[in-house]
Amino acid sequence: MVKSYLATSLKEALEIRGRESITPYAGGTDLMIEAHDDASYLFLNKIPELKQITVDDEYIRIGAASTFTEVYQSKLVPQILKDAVIEIAAPAIRNLGTIGGNICNGSPKGDSVLIFFATDSKLRLASSKGERILPIKDFYLGRKKLAIQDDELLVEILMSKTGLDNYYYKKIGARNALAISRVSFAGVLDIKDGKVVNCMTAFGAVSDVVIRRPDIDGMLIGKTIDEAKAVKEKYLAAFDEAIVPIRGRVSAEYRKSVCMNLLKDFLESNGI
Amino acid sequence: MIKFILNGEEVTSNANPNERLLDVLRNEFRLTGAKCGCKEGECGACSVILNEKLVNSCMVAMGSIEGSTVMTIEGYSKTDRFTVLENAYAAVSAVQCGFCIPGMMLASERILAENPNPTEEDIRRGISGNLCRCTGYNAIVEAIGIAAKEGKGLW
Repeated sequence: MVKSYLATSLKEALEIRGRESITPYAGGTDLMIEAHDDASYLFLNKIPELKQITVDDEYIRIGAASTFTEVYQSKLVPQILKDAVIEIAAPAIRNLGTIGGNICNGSPKGDSVLIFFATDSKLRLASSKGERILPIKDFYLGRKKLAIQDDELLVEILMSKTGLDNYYYKKIGARNALAISRVSFAGVLDIKDGKVVNCMTAFGAVSDVVIRRPDIDGMLIGKTIDEAKAVKEKYLAAFDEAIVPIRGRVSAEYRKSVCMNLLKDFLESNGI
Repeated sequence: MIKFILNGEEVTSNANPNERLLDVLRNEFRLTGAKCGCKEGECGACSVILNEKLVNSCMVAMGSIEGSTVMTIEGYSKTDRFTVLENAYAAVSAVQCGFCIPGMMLASERILAENPNPTEEDIRRGISGNLCRCTGYNAIVEAIGIAAKEGKGLW
């Protein structure tokens, strides 16, 4: 028996999610590729709370069922996310696909996911019993393994309001439209008064989970550009060791050298 | 029972909520303008306009469209905008086998509805999810540019 629900409020959706074993459906663009005759969906595409994009003192809060088109058109969304979103697939997919779906699909190739890693964004998850906020890094446990409970839904993505303006983003695909990333890289370097106050980098489509290593990026934080240059070789060597690509449609060696080239280009474009 | 507006008329479908809009349009409503090319959102042959947005109907589950508005090429072909696009496509021979054309026309409609004076780059981006494997894109891009000029005021 195929049972599906079109929820009209978050409260209703969480109640259904809490009592039934059912697949949350936001945009459907991943789910419908493997649609089974017996699939039961909880449709989330008409829930206003999941489609809001708002801002508070600390965060830009993006509703998980916001489509890529809606994210791109929002005046509140940081440019680094817009740059990634506009390269996803093609207009018809961007009109359906959602950032929440991109995250909950669990793939290390998700183009918006990379940006949420590179900006240390947080996820707000809710169930009918309560809610919690989790850094995205703690949400991804392994390939297609996510820290979401059976009764939970992803409600919002929380991005920092400040410090994201100086960024670098590159997606390497086989073509411009409808391309799955072969390697993707994003870096944020926040420089104030000649000093690096924050450095966040992320590598997508190379490993089971997007690679984000704050311990290595920390080597550059608190340094002047000249001081950062002095530790550059050590920094690159640390990432060279940390990035262990898996073989996919392209070879591990190719992925590795592209990652390192992009990381170097990110530094050089900032005078490091 | 799923109720929605199809080409301006309120309709009800007996489809399962997990069925594809594409299959329902073709099999239940016998609207065969939307074509099935890939069933994975890669080709755009099944494009329709859902709530004023271009979508791949193979990627839409019926349960998600309750109360929504769907326009297929059959409905669109009764509009003045269609006639302008049709003439422009014909003028530069932008149609050969025709398999991609229903989707291509609806993509053209959305390009012009969102921006009545698109640049060539805007047009190419706008049809970037619609694959054509025989005419070639240049004639189609040219046709959309002609429609923008000829149809001034319509969009």
